[in-house]
Amino acid sequence: MPQLNPEFFVTQLFWLVVTFSFLLVFLWRISLPRIGNVLEKRERKISEDLTTAKELQNEAEKIQETIESQLKQARTGASEMIKTSSLALHDKAQIELTKLDKELDAKIEQSSATIEKSKNESVSQIQNQINEITKLTLSKVAAFDVSDDEIKSAVKSSERSIN
Amino acid sequence: MAAKDSPLKQFEIVPFSKTELGGYDISFTNSSLSMIITVAVITLFLTLTVKPRSLVPSRMQLVSELMYNFIANLLSDTVGDNGKKYFPFVFSLFMFVLIGNMVGMVPYQFTFTSHIIVTFALAAIVFIGTTILGFANHGIKFFSFFYIPGVPFYMHPLLIPIEVISYLSRPISLSVRLFANMLAGHTLLKVFAGFVVAMPFFTGVFPLVFIVALTGLEILIAFLQAYVFAILTCLYINDAYHLH
Repeated sequence: MPQLNPEFFVTQLFWLVVTFSFLLVFLWRISLPRIGNVLEKRERKISEDLTTAKELQNEAEKIQETIESQLKQARTGASEMIKTSSLALHDKAQIELTKLDKELDAKIEQSSATIEKSKNESVSQIQNQINEITKLTLSKVAAFDVSDDEIKSAVKSSERSIN
Repeated sequence: MAAKDSPLKQFEIVPFSKTELGGYDISFTNSSLSMIITVAVITLFLTLTVKPRSLVPSRMQLVSELMYNFIANLLSDTVGDNGKKYFPFVFSLFMFVLIGNMVGMVPYQFTFTSHIIVTFALAAIVFIGTTILGFANHGIKFFSFFYIPGVPFYMHPLLIPIEVISYLSRPISLSVRLFANMLAGHTLLKVFAGFVVAMPFFTGVFPLVFIVALTGLEILIAFLQAYVFAILTCLYINDAYHLH
């Protein structure tokens, strides 16, 4: 077996030491730091991007919150406005109504006064006519004149007895 | 079958030129050539693919990053934070064995990991390194590694020698595992290749099909052995930090 031939042991060991130590130093000093740098750079970039993404997400959430709170505020404002305006309208209507009531009352009073007056007038007219009719009747039937005052008092006394 | 067609002929070392240094033979051989090819492939691949250093990697850059992460995770899973210092060493070891095995899968290429002297040297580096590390971390207390707590006292005379032997046989098992796997796989391929030539008419197709399947298996083993070498190195480093 050629492997057990010690003739070439020394040269194999020599070249092994030469090549392997060159490889070790080359990889240690040049290749591995390069690859390590690339990997590290990538990792850093990824983690940076992740933190940026997280920050942006937080910001977006904050904006979302503001939007929601503003919406809420707007909604409550609107409902309050509706409430106040409906109350104001109600009050206004009430005021108008009372005003109208008063006016109507005044008109009713006025008209009732007018009615009363015309009633009194017609009553006194009726009285006069009764007096006149009575005077006429007496003059025609009994052929004697009676003064107006007498007739008036007589009618009044008969009225009183009737009543 | 003539000796020059032996399945073991592929493991023969052929010096390209005779060179001596201080009385030792350091000739440049086919083994040295494949080691240099291996190192060139690793360094060029890891340099060229990561050259753009883009945040969004190209496919080839991704391969380099995956290998980096593979070994980094292996080391952090087995050793923990202490393991970061040894990452360049474990990574180099893994890549050297992996690409050495893979270069050996190329036809007409020499497989230096099929030589016990090479794998033993690598295993010895790991063994001596982790032993020194153990003594540096724990001093003389590192010997308590051989003392298993929670065992009846009369068992210790039996267990301590076993522990010592198993510790000392680590470099042997580590190197022989890789060496034997590579040796067996490549020999098997060559044996079946011999069948392809030797069998009459078209029946040589059958061993050929078998060779194709075996090549796939060998590529798997090439990766697996590199992985085993790396993970055992990690475990030995861990042992140097944590005594039981």
